[in-house]
Amino acid sequence: MSFYPGITEGTVRADGVEVKYYDSGEKPGGGAPIVLLHGTGGSAENNFAALLPMLSFRHRVIALDFVDEIPEESGPLALDHFVSQASAVINKLSPGRPVTLVGYSLGAVVAALVAAEQPELVRNLVLVAGWMKTDEQQKLRNSVWQQLHDSQSAALAEFMLLTAFSSRFVATRPPAELQKLIAGIKAGPSRARKMRVNRTVDISAKLSAVRARTLVIGCSDDQMAPIRHSHALFGAIDDSRFVEISSGHAVVHERPAELFTRIDNFVQGHASDDAGAVLAPVHA
Amino acid sequence: MTTPDTAVTSEAGRSHENDPLNNVDVIIIGTGFSGLGMGIQLVRENNKSFVMLERAADVGGTWRDNTYPGAACDIQSHLYSYSFRPNPDWSRVYATQPEILQYLQAAAREEGLIPHIRFGAEVLDARWDETQERWIVSTPRGTFAGKSLITASGHLSDPKFPNIKGIDGFTGEIFHSAQWDHSVELEGKRIGVVGSGASAIQIVPEIAETATHLTVFQRSAPYVIPRLDYFYTDAERGMFRKFPHTAQAIRDELFWGNEARFPQRRGVPAFIDQITEVADNHRKTQVTDPVLYKQLTPDYAIGCKRILISNDYYPALGRPNVTLETDGISHIEGNAVITSTGERHELDVLILSTGFEASDLPISHRIYGKSGASLAEHWSNGGQAYACTTVSGFPNLFVMLGPNTGLGAGSIIYMAETQISYIAGALKYMRENSVSSLEVTAEAEEEYVKTIDERAQGTVWLSGGCESWYVDPRNGRLTTLWPDFMSQFRKENGTFKDAAYVVKTHANQGQPMFAGGR
Repeated sequence: MSFYPGITEGTVRADGVEVKYYDSGEKPGGGAPIVLLHGTGGSAENNFAALLPMLSFRHRVIALDFVDEIPEESGPLALDHFVSQASAVINKLSPGRPVTLVGYSLGAVVAALVAAEQPELVRNLVLVAGWMKTDEQQKLRNSVWQQLHDSQSAALAEFMLLTAFSSRFVATRPPAELQKLIAGIKAGPSRARKMRVNRTVDISAKLSAVRARTLVIGCSDDQMAPIRHSHALFGAIDDSRFVEISSGHAVVHERPAELFTRIDNFVQGHASDDAGAVLAPVHA
Repeated sequence: MTTPDTAVTSEAGRSHENDPLNNVDVIIIGTGFSGLGMGIQLVRENNKSFVMLERAADVGGTWRDNTYPGAACDIQSHLYSYSFRPNPDWSRVYATQPEILQYLQAAAREEGLIPHIRFGAEVLDARWDETQERWIVSTPRGTFAGKSLITASGHLSDPKFPNIKGIDGFTGEIFHSAQWDHSVELEGKRIGVVGSGASAIQIVPEIAETATHLTVFQRSAPYVIPRLDYFYTDAERGMFRKFPHTAQAIRDELFWGNEARFPQRRGVPAFIDQITEVADNHRKTQVTDPVLYKQLTPDYAIGCKRILISNDYYPALGRPNVTLETDGISHIEGNAVITSTGERHELDVLILSTGFEASDLPISHRIYGKSGASLAEHWSNGGQAYACTTVSGFPNLFVMLGPNTGLGAGSIIYMAETQISYIAGALKYMRENSVSSLEVTAEAEEEYVKTIDERAQGTVWLSGGCESWYVDPRNGRLTTLWPDFMSQFRKENGTFKDAAYVVKTHANQGQPMFAGGR
């Protein structure tokens, strides 16, 4: 991965698969490392091409690529596999030192589970555009996606663009940029296996076990994990605070700098960030 | 101290001696974007004890001075305006100079600043008087005393002239683009433009159409990207007026869009590649002549100098009556510019579009601190300030848009507003604690500047292989630009804290205390 100069790559074994990770390296005087977990359609580079460099100016940042092709004896693919892949990377790169775990989309579901099941690994938890239980609106979108995917429809990429980005973002892009985004989606990694996992997510019984200091970030125009899900996560986790970003689900592309700023402020620990707080919007 | 409770109604006919504002809490130098913003803050806090000293006859700073054809801002107007005075009526995405000047004039008038302004009051000399603990400022309009002094004289306010042999003997018409001589008829003339920066690329397309011949003297090629301009419809302007949050949403989107460009300046390859591709495609699309294409291809990393936005600069250079000269100027002889290869360009008019004195700020030569030394002497190793605003040895002085407050991509108004908030906080602290003198320690200043120098390392401005006004030529330090995210600037420098300051109060007169130790 070339997205950050000087980044080191490696692999760690978990459940019989090799998980690739990326590490920006120690920062002198830095705090807990930040570990980034990507979402359904992504890879570390695809989701965090902007966020990782931004965070790396101040923090040690670690990212990984989830493996969704697992040996038959470990199958079928479930959230638990992603949980053990994430914890394997944390244990290898930050042994005995709890991290700031940032999960985006499906990665937020995984991050919440890691924090609930292995609290010793997670000091701070950031859940970006996450959810806890897949609802009927999400299942319907998932179903339309599946039909377009199975029929190899040319409309699949456009459908994904429309659901991933805010309507304002799409409406105000120059046509050439939209075509480039659509081409990027077409060329992206297959999401079919993870989409199957998405359909059955339900971690609602686990969240009361989350003890980490938590920031929940919801996106105002999210159609894939609508903001009501972030409201619910905020409600479920005791030591959490909430912030809304004006964006679609693809906040890592639409508003990476605002996302970075919110995470950076949270990690640096602001006085106004008490548990239960709804953080005020920041206007330029 | 005399503090007039009622606003001064008119200054006409007053002599200096009985100017009710000749002894005030706060003196502000300059009435451009930053000075007016500071004044508005004071007025809105109901602090009436301030005077604003303006050397010219009108407000507006750089937007009053730069009246050249095509003058416009290259930051979108909904962002390049005060957050506390949104304007729903911007005619287009990138407003031109007259509209921006009108915006500032209206702000000064409607906020009640005009009675506080002394026009024709160029600051000749400003000295800290240690016994009175006041700043004494001399101007052609008399002497003004103030407890605090705020310089809001801008970093793009004093034209920079090129050092060309024989330039004083040029026999044609000659002027700087920031001092445009509108009496000079350009139609049918042979015109030369020296420079290819932000001003030149706006001027060239405007005058290329009517000049007999136009020669552009380029030292290094700029990166140019498309200008995505657009005229707002009546419906949109009505919407911005009736639903202010819709304009705010645009402002926020523009701000965060600029903020997300910062990794370009830190040499992150994916970001560099993306913006380089945009600039390369623009050049390929607009420049068809292979020789011109080569001349217009920059030889340094993108972002090292300001990235320019224009849709009509390249096409203008492709006109048959326009020549791009890249050989470098040797000297001037009579009405001719001679290049290093000996070629003669005979001209009727020579326009110097060579930028501004950005690193060695002229105002710093006129401000004298505790020791009697000037701010320029204090800054002989490059401009520096604690929190980018205060300077050791210069009590009660606040510098706006001085060292390390410029931006490679973003609205300088955000930086000015951050400083307004910091300075207003300091003034409030001084009032509430009866502070007579507030001075940052030399240690705190050095420590702060060290963090800036560290952050500047690895930026494209220092390592991009170009020569720009961002870097002080005397020492190679990045002294004009802020080398971090803009939100980080606000986080660090938006709120006054007394810890780094030595504070003298009227109660402890003569026994300064270190605020941080309390």
